[in-house]
Amino acid sequence: MDLSHRIAAFRETVEEWLRGLYHGMVSHRAYEYIEQEAEDQEDAFLLACFPDAFGIPSPVSYYTAELLPYLGPEFEQWERRMWDRGSVLERKGHQFHY
Amino acid sequence: MRRFVFFGGKGGVGKTTVSSAYAHRCARGGLDTLLVSTDPAHSTADVFDQAFDDDPTPVDGYDSLEVMEIDPEEAVDDHLMGIKRQLGDQVSPAIVNEIDRQIELAHRTPGAHEAALFDRFIDVMREAEHDRVVFDTSPTGGTLRLLSLPEYLGGWIDRLLEKREASVDLYEKAAIGGREPRRTAIGDPIIARLRERKGNFEFAGRTLREEAAFFLVVNPDELSIRETRRAVESLSSEGLAVTGLVANRLTPEPEDHEDGRGARFLRDRVATERERLDEIRETFDQPLVAAIGTRTEEVKGDLLGSVAEELDIEVSAETPGR
Repeated sequence: MDLSHRIAAFRETVEEWLRGLYHGMVSHRAYEYIEQEAEDQEDAFLLACFPDAFGIPSPVSYYTAELLPYLGPEFEQWERRMWDRGSVLERKGHQFHY
Repeated sequence: MRRFVFFGGKGGVGKTTVSSAYAHRCARGGLDTLLVSTDPAHSTADVFDQAFDDDPTPVDGYDSLEVMEIDPEEAVDDHLMGIKRQLGDQVSPAIVNEIDRQIELAHRTPGAHEAALFDRFIDVMREAEHDRVVFDTSPTGGTLRLLSLPEYLGGWIDRLLEKREASVDLYEKAAIGGREPRRTAIGDPIIARLRERKGNFEFAGRTLREEAAFFLVVNPDELSIRETRRAVESLSSEGLAVTGLVANRLTPEPEDHEDGRGARFLRDRVATERERLDEIRETFDQPLVAAIGTRTEEVKGDLLGSVAEELDIEVSAETPGR
């Protein structure tokens, strides 16, 4: 194997490592961060749609019930999340990798 | 006269009588007329001595009069079944039960009847091809809430849309580096559904403001007048103008030579009612379009015609392109 090939192979390895490092340290966390924010927004949306699931009457639940066929799996996960969630801190704490 | 005419008022003042009489008049005047009863305790069937249901049914003895009675209970059930059917198509059986409970719950909430009734209102206003649609509404409170729904629900749906759009937008942003986002705004069934609802509410609000006329039926007594005053105020605050008032159940005056106990009672009663009528004429901005005397019999059949004659409400259709 000549020198140029060895350099190319070395560069490939380094590139892969760098990409991995960047992904792990920056892009993945950014991705996670945004997605969690999106989930929080979705939770708020679901709570606004179905407060009656928690005993708060809603004037529009008759209309929002129409959305349930499309929200199926999300709805169930959401309900469980809402009942289980200890505090806001717990959820926010997820977003930081210490 | 506008295409949609609503008759409202306190319970028991004779809304059904007045609206039936008006519908009678329109139909006799050659207009293709639909009378819609929205009071859960329907009594149009008694007026016309004929059974009606949720679909417009021609009335015997009329060329151009149809009546429909909206049953909110049935509308709620239809809505419920529709959603459940869709649920079966869309969602895996494993979680159907969980969601089923929520759907049932939503249809047992206090607002469900109103929402269902409101939807049927919109359907009727959208689909009816009649020249004149007369609504015999449920007693004041219910109707007023119903008519204030477009604004109120529109605002609510707006907020829901905002939230949903924000979260979808974030999901799209989270799809860094050409990844498939979890949800996209294009083709999101939730956003589409909410937009459709919003459109519906806007249509209702616009139609009620621009193409509907409201009449309040009032009896010549203090309670009824007070309630009417409140109704006028709350309708105006929703941007809906009351076109006129109809006084119903006026006591007939006895002949001059009569002087029994009954005659004295009637004379007193007539005097009080006259004061009340004057009060109505003076203190309301709306004109008193009719003063209908009380009848000894139930108003139905031929009597309807005689009541209709006392109604001084314009029948002719508004010229198009006004």
